[in-house]
Amino acid sequence: MKTKAAQVLWVTVWFALCLSAAKAQNTTADLSGTINDASGAPVPNAKVSLKNLTTGQSNEVQADARGKYHFSGLAPGQYEVSASAEGFNPKTTTVSVTGPAPTAHMSLERSTGPTLSDLGFSAAETQSNAEEQARLDKRTRMLKIHQKMGLITTVPLAATIITGFGAGGKQTSSSTRDLHVVLGSTTAGLYFTTAYFAIFAPRIHGTETRGPIRVHKTLAWIHGPGMILTPILGAMAFEQKSKGEHVHGLASLHGQVAIVTGAAYGAALLSVSVKF
Amino acid sequence: MKSAMKTLNVGMVFLLAWAALAWADSQWVLDQSTLTYHVSHPLHQVDGVSHAARGKGMCHDGQCDFLIAVPVKSFDSGDSNRDLHMLQVTRGAQYPMVTVRTHLPETAAQESTIHADLDIEFAGQSVHYKDVRLEVSTQGKEKKLTGTIPAKVGDFKIEPPTLLTMPIKNDIPVKIEMTWRPQ
Repeated sequence: MKTKAAQVLWVTVWFALCLSAAKAQNTTADLSGTINDASGAPVPNAKVSLKNLTTGQSNEVQADARGKYHFSGLAPGQYEVSASAEGFNPKTTTVSVTGPAPTAHMSLERSTGPTLSDLGFSAAETQSNAEEQARLDKRTRMLKIHQKMGLITTVPLAATIITGFGAGGKQTSSSTRDLHVVLGSTTAGLYFTTAYFAIFAPRIHGTETRGPIRVHKTLAWIHGPGMILTPILGAMAFEQKSKGEHVHGLASLHGQVAIVTGAAYGAALLSVSVKF
Repeated sequence: MKSAMKTLNVGMVFLLAWAALAWADSQWVLDQSTLTYHVSHPLHQVDGVSHAARGKGMCHDGQCDFLIAVPVKSFDSGDSNRDLHMLQVTRGAQYPMVTVRTHLPETAAQESTIHADLDIEFAGQSVHYKDVRLEVSTQGKEKKLTGTIPAKVGDFKIEPPTLLTMPIKNDIPVKIEMTWRPQ
């Protein structure tokens, strides 16, 4: 009986220790403070950034109209607090976030140094443009999809070209030819979806195209029409083969056009991947 | 009597002028600059260069405050698509300027090496870089400063740009070459 009671006691103590250890691991702290000027008046809307000196992780908040700021959910440790506001010298201090409610009040000195307007930049150069940023964000999102889909398209494209060498033959039908048609159709579908994300990505006014991207865009004038022409010629060749005829006329160019198209596509991919 | 007053007045004016000159606040202006960021990617090593920085230093009581600013979109990496992508990830339309502020004693101009504390605002973030080593060389009245700011993409909470799904390295050191002249 005594042994059982002792066992229950040990288990309870062990659970209590585990719980306390878990709680200790999850302990977080808050840091708050006020940003004032040298006279003690609050500096409204100051930017306050916090950097964990152990992990290097940083966070930023904006002080309110009374100069008050607050960070929550901080792991205990040493932090670097930096405060800045227009017209004031930035200030940095180190604070130990360990106690129940640590604070870091900072006093900023009015800047006697130059300001952006002293440097002669125009308002248009220094003004934030949210619309332009949204356009850039949309452009990048679309071009990232363009990039990924472009890479995916290379797989069926290569397979189509490889199966193309065995798709001719003398028979009116063959499994390789059917496979070639399926792969070709898949390639065309993926290619035009890829192209859509580049063609309809927002244009940024005042940007002159220069560098490797120019080569990439120029090559699109070869593989783009090629991707339209190849399936048309392929369909003509397929029909002629199905009738037991030799591939003749324009349809006989299907293979050559496909190879030029594939080569231009590969070169376009390399132009933005490899520095030369 | 009138002549003595005139002499005294002229003397006072000279005295005031001398005092004003003796206590005058000096200024420095950024004459020429080349700022170069370096990006490392598994497939590329890229340098983006800007010559568009402007700067001013104001000295008072032996202490100088410097401000250098450069438009984010002025950096040229040799590829317009990459530059637009950099402009997007660094939120360059929302925060169009990179500003660097530092505070130095006026005597620093006489040193051959300066260790400056830099406050950099970029991509909507303020980051403090301590003890950035700058070499100073004198060419006549001009001072040429060279050095490297050990910037990291993560410092400014910038999502590392990717090419072919591979991200760039976190380090984007910025090499600076600046020529300052007294104004």
